[in-house]
Amino acid sequence: MTKAQQRPLIQEFRLLATPVVLFLLVFLGFPAIVNLIYSVSDVSFETLRQPELSGLKNFAAVWSDSAFWQASWFSFRFGLLTAVLECTLGLFLAIFLSPLIERRSWLMAILMLPLMVAPALVGLMYRLVLHEFVGPVPYYLWTYFGASLSFLGPGSAFWTLVVVETLQWTPFALLLFYMAYQAIPSEIAEASAMDGAKSHHRLWYIELPLMLPTIVVALLIRFIDGFRVFDNVYVLTGSGPGGSTASLSIYIYEAFFKQGAIGKAVAASVILFVVSFAVLYGLNFIASRRKGAIR
Amino acid sequence: MATISLKKAGKQYGNLEIIRELDLDLADGEFVVIVGPSGCGKSTLLRMIAGLEETTSGQIFIDGRDVTAASPVERKLAMVFQSYALYPHMTVRRNMGFGLKLAKLPADRIKAKVEAAAETLKLTHLLERYPKELSGGQRQRVAIGRAIVREPVGFLFDEPLSNLDAALRVDMRLEIAKLHRTLGATMIYVTHDQVEAMTLADRIVVMKDGRIMQQGSPQALYQTPANLFVAQFIGSPKMNLLPCRRSADGLDLSGEGSIRLPLSGPAAPAHLGARPEHLSLVSPDSGDCRGTIEVSEYLGGNTSVFVRAGKLGLINVSAPADTPYRIGETVGIRIDAASSSLFDDAGAAIAANR
Amino acid sequence: MITALRWLAFATAAFAMNFPILVTLSTSLKSTRELSTNPGLWVQAPTLDNYLAVFQVTDRLNIFLYLFNSLSVALIGTVLAVALALPAAYAIARGRLGERTLLPFIVNLRAVPLIIFAIPLYMMFQWLALLDTRLGLGLILTIVNLPLALVILVNAIHDLPAELDEAALMDGASRTQILFRVIAPVCRPAIVTSLIFGFITAWNEFLFGLMLTTSKAVPITVGASFFFAASGGGVQWGMASAVMIVGALPPVLLGLIMYRQISGSMTAGAVKG
Ligand SMILES: Nc1ncnc2c1ncn2[C@@H]1O[C@H](COP(=O)(O)OP(=O)(O)OP(=O)(O)O)[C@@H](O)[C@H]1O
Ligand SMILES: [Mg+2]
Repeated sequence: MTKAQQRPLIQEFRLLATPVVLFLLVFLGFPAIVNLIYSVSDVSFETLRQPELSGLKNFAAVWSDSAFWQASWFSFRFGLLTAVLECTLGLFLAIFLSPLIERRSWLMAILMLPLMVAPALVGLMYRLVLHEFVGPVPYYLWTYFGASLSFLGPGSAFWTLVVVETLQWTPFALLLFYMAYQAIPSEIAEASAMDGAKSHHRLWYIELPLMLPTIVVALLIRFIDGFRVFDNVYVLTGSGPGGSTASLSIYIYEAFFKQGAIGKAVAASVILFVVSFAVLYGLNFIASRRKGAIR
Repeated sequence: MATISLKKAGKQYGNLEIIRELDLDLADGEFVVIVGPSGCGKSTLLRMIAGLEETTSGQIFIDGRDVTAASPVERKLAMVFQSYALYPHMTVRRNMGFGLKLAKLPADRIKAKVEAAAETLKLTHLLERYPKELSGGQRQRVAIGRAIVREPVGFLFDEPLSNLDAALRVDMRLEIAKLHRTLGATMIYVTHDQVEAMTLADRIVVMKDGRIMQQGSPQALYQTPANLFVAQFIGSPKMNLLPCRRSADGLDLSGEGSIRLPLSGPAAPAHLGARPEHLSLVSPDSGDCRGTIEVSEYLGGNTSVFVRAGKLGLINVSAPADTPYRIGETVGIRIDAASSSLFDDAGAAIAANR
Repeated sequence: MITALRWLAFATAAFAMNFPILVTLSTSLKSTRELSTNPGLWVQAPTLDNYLAVFQVTDRLNIFLYLFNSLSVALIGTVLAVALALPAAYAIARGRLGERTLLPFIVNLRAVPLIIFAIPLYMMFQWLALLDTRLGLGLILTIVNLPLALVILVNAIHDLPAELDEAALMDGASRTQILFRVIAPVCRPAIVTSLIFGFITAWNEFLFGLMLTTSKAVPITVGASFFFAASGGGVQWGMASAVMIVGALPPVLLGLIMYRQISGSMTAGAVKG
């Protein structure tokens, strides 16, 4: 009786949410199931429709594949390093440049420009930038320092990629930090100035703690994006030299398209799937617990 | 126009009971004002009647029809919100006509109705403006206009004037009173403003913790509050409460004085309630009790004098504007016992005192 | 003094971060002859020849097709994402439906390496004959755009007073009518923001373009790399640069024009998500 009135309302809301749910079921739910089935099957491009169950063989193959572990290690190291570099640089720039940007917001537009360009295109651009004959970087290094470096060689490719990624995505961190910095109420700064706080005290004891949540979020986002990197690395180095710059995304892509190892590619996908969602839901859980504690 | 009645209507959020088995009957065309402390459930009650909030127990009737499960439109009521809730992307004309358009009325009928309502509310010259181009008072008028074009059987107001400044509030109050007279519609009006409650209401309902503490005409509530809560809540400044005990020929005011008052039956008064205007300042030896003036506030028409009277505490007396008594002076207080109220230990009024 | 330092820092950062764009722009303006003699940033004799060459359609390279593909898939992926997200956002924000299930799931999608769905999607598209079609790629980009669109719209609707809905309910509107006649018009800035944001993201997407298209539906991000694998005598750097500038231009222009709106929503997606 009493529910009767509420029910049509809820039902109408359900109806409104239905399209997106259906869409996700078709385009993510179905693939997820295919993933699960194929990951425990023996499949090749010829036997796509008749996968034969083969237990955990594919997982075993991935597990014992040193390239998988190399790619995992690359993704993790790459994500961590770029996240830390981008956030450090972004934080410094956000605070140091804020007096300039406050008055001229077009400066921010210039700094944000790299974010608008496709990472794949940026990767291609660096092929030009670092090219030994037409690239300005090797040219200037040679003319002014007499140095000739191999940027994409075995020892340096990783670091080149780190720099490429960092230079493109530092603006993202910068923007987040700038917003957070601007959002600090000026009363707080004024009050602490009345208390006699020097500007570096204010930075350390007031502004940075207030920005901490944003810093954590930025580190997290940048780590995730660095971890799953594909576009710029793929166009710049492929996975070379010698597979040393294959990220997990590239590992899965190559296992599937280059080696035709469907089972292995899918098993690696499932591992990544489970780990990502476990980590993300764990983080959500912690975040909601923290929020609850603060409230 | 319509009668509205609630039969043991209740509202629970989980285990939290917001409205408890509430009975309320509105006659056709009646103007009922609901007052009560913040959080007592006034808005919730209004929204239950509107159909915006599910009624978890009991029933609601409009014109004798059970509408407990009906949607807001089916109830044919209109609501005016504190924040106006005008559609920001529509002109005044479209704001007022939106409900009619949804009801699929022909355009010319909508136009006629909107313009008639605009005429009543003096909004005609504002019809093509957007809400953000209006002052607070004008927005409030549009909100009311939106309510009246649909010719509802009843109006629900949730603190409609609390966002307006004091002068505008008086104007709009008069206008709402006029509207009630011309439309003759049943109205329920929630407010925190004592003056609005006293002036607009045919009947005031005082709520506390989701229950009705007392309902009745403004006079009845003011003069014969049913309990301590209502006595304290209605009237500004507040009623003085003097602890007292029954004595042989009347009341003993905690040893600070006494009043002769014939009491019948087994009444056991614990508090004497006296409004400031029922007290007067006299020479120290001639009052019912006495004390020292601690604060004196000149208010223009009168002076509000606060007297410290021992165990009786601080007593607020409404004295003439040109009262001769000064701060620090010891004065007597005379109590108009006939106009006062008596309450027992549990806070219920004792009817037998006059 | 300190201000001079700040300007120096700004100039250095702006130069370093935009360096590849500057180099590409400069290279795209060099003639073939100058390319082989002057690898520096400064262009001695600027020419538009490379751009003219890029827009010459050959049977192997067709920039118009790539640009048209990018435009179509970006439009599909953006409009569809917002069309799906808006009603869902309303149900989540007002009906509190899926607040703890659907919303976090979709938001988490933003952080998941989407390659994990790529292989089954590839097979599925093969069965559905969606491989190498604009519709197919557009559908995938919808998934890519959904999380941010949803977060932006849920936040926008949350920020509206519930009394607005209630007033409309009293006026006799159904939830669907409220959504389309009250909420959607009032949320227009948020909708525009999610459209712009989605468009830029979709235009710049590479992985699915690479996997799911081969010729007919190739987007510009993938098509641009075709210019690098040029015929015979190595990469024609001038043309390759010109194509990258052309491919980067639409999102950059859109971003520069609307960057105020976008910068706000970046934080919305990041912090509140
Ligand atoms: N969605 C909800 N869930 C749980 N409790 C609620 C909810 N909405 C309101 N309440 C509680 O119901 C009680 C009554 O709220 P209501 O808004 O009706 O009070 P009110 O009398 O209108 O107060 P005010 O004068 O401040 O407007 C409050 O204690 C409030 O905390
Ligand atoms: Mg209220």
